[in-house]
Amino acid sequence: MSSAAASTASAGPRSQRPRKPPPPAFAVWGTLGFIVVTVLFALDWEYGIGFSIASIIEGLGRQNPILEGARTLDWATLRSPTVIQGFVETFQMATIATILGGIVALPLALFNSLTGAPNKVVYVLVKNFNSFIRAIPDLIYAVFFVAAIGRGALPGVLALFFLSVAVIAKLTSDIVDGIDQGPIESARASGASHLQMLKTAVLPQILPGYTSFALYTFEINLRGSAVLGFVGAGGIGQVFSNYYQRGWYDRLAAVVIGFFVVVFVVDRISIAVRKHLL
Amino acid sequence: MTDAEAKRRSEELVRPEKPFNWFRWVVSGTLVLLFLATTGTVDVQLGQITALPERTAQYLGLMYLPPDLSEIPRATRAMIESLGMAWIGTMIGAMLSFPLAFLAATNLFSKPVVFATRQVLNFFRAVPEIVFLIALLPVTGLTPVTVALALGISSIGTLGKLSAEVIEGIDHGPVEAASAAGGGRLQRIRWSVIPQVIPEIVALWLYRFEINIRNSAVAGAVGAGGIGTLLVRQIGQLRDWAAAGTALAVMVIITLIVDTISGRVRRRIIRGPQRAVDIGADPGQAPEGTVDGDDDGPAGEPRAVMPV
Repeated sequence: MSSAAASTASAGPRSQRPRKPPPPAFAVWGTLGFIVVTVLFALDWEYGIGFSIASIIEGLGRQNPILEGARTLDWATLRSPTVIQGFVETFQMATIATILGGIVALPLALFNSLTGAPNKVVYVLVKNFNSFIRAIPDLIYAVFFVAAIGRGALPGVLALFFLSVAVIAKLTSDIVDGIDQGPIESARASGASHLQMLKTAVLPQILPGYTSFALYTFEINLRGSAVLGFVGAGGIGQVFSNYYQRGWYDRLAAVVIGFFVVVFVVDRISIAVRKHLL
Repeated sequence: MTDAEAKRRSEELVRPEKPFNWFRWVVSGTLVLLFLATTGTVDVQLGQITALPERTAQYLGLMYLPPDLSEIPRATRAMIESLGMAWIGTMIGAMLSFPLAFLAATNLFSKPVVFATRQVLNFFRAVPEIVFLIALLPVTGLTPVTVALALGISSIGTLGKLSAEVIEGIDHGPVEAASAAGGGRLQRIRWSVIPQVIPEIVALWLYRFEINIRNSAVAGAVGAGGIGTLLVRQIGQLRDWAAAGTALAVMVIITLIVDTISGRVRRRIIRGPQRAVDIGADPGQAPEGTVDGDDDGPAGEPRAVMPV
């Protein structure tokens, strides 16, 4: 390409430029598809959400009592026992869910790959099971378990547990697919059973990734706990929900900022540890 | 050689001693302690745990024995609304994160600019969707548009960060060619960087769309529409288990179908038309990209299909 450019340059301005190749059909149809889907979803009709920039601009001009609350922050709220208990419960829920989820996710991640599954039947079953778990949002798990066993931290733990299993299994199985096959072959050649092979040839290769995904999931669980309280599943979300429903926006803003700081700090620590792990 | 002889021979060999891994023991010990400390103190009634298996089975029975097929149209409609929120939200996030991604790429802008942009992206990542959703309620009310806006804003952080990583992985040849031809910074970006990164960034958008379908359930927390709101109402308030079972099944099936389509399109975008040839998609590189690719949902996938 550069030689073509050079030759046109040396031949002077009157020489013919190479013609631009037409864009590939996939790009044309793909762009068109993107636009059509966007327009259909944006329009105000039966199957669209009625997105209009004018109404957003109009809404921005309206009074926003919630953001107003952020101006009169009530910092004292952060020291109240309810809020402290909310933060503690969020950490408890996230910790239990991450540890249990990590344990359950490990075999699910191994069997989600043709390398790690003992046979094709297990592989197909586990793969579908994982997709199924992943297709249900944490809030829906939470509302189900709250209805089944009552309000509190336990339904929250269960919701975050399923979220953790889904995330860790998905991310870890992606590495299982890409590990070095050498150790697996040598384990097989020396007569290892399938389990022995997994333990000696696969596990050591995926352990750093797996550990860092588990840490990452802890962050996700912390953030996730913010919403679960809205359906009665405990944690700091319960505090958010109470203050929101009572219209205590000054307190809500203070707790949100406190939560943000906590998440941000945990995020930084976790990223530093994860960089060290790999 | 008999078994006994083989055993004797192998015992004669001196096996190297296994190195003692302090790190592993410290980590395992801490985890066990953490687990005991949290389970021991968390506010959970024992009755809840013992009731769990029985109640779960009981309510699953109410949901699907027999299934309530008459709910399918309503559930499908709600699910399509969720897809709409997720798609529009993703597009909003894509548009807002696109310029930021360039500012956050170390190979295009100076350190202070990159640092400042990354802090902005980190901010959007650390705030949960529900916070944006509540803050936007007075603007557009309890509508799907509000959810779309909240999803879009909270997608900025992840999309911006992952896109910046794609931009940092470009081939510098075309950039040099553009500067040799006298192109300024904007022209270099327009003609040398964007054409290289656009397929991978569009694939990231699609991946984010899949995540946002799940995240759109957050609407259920405040009642802003979609399948999340429908399910929260049916399970949490009306206790209409049969209807909820149908809605849940519709949600799972449509989510899986959309996932499959979106995944195919992503692979096609990244790998090009030759589907048999695995161009450079070295999945062994996956973990590096994924770990850094913090995400509100399963990250990693883009890297696994994306040669860096």
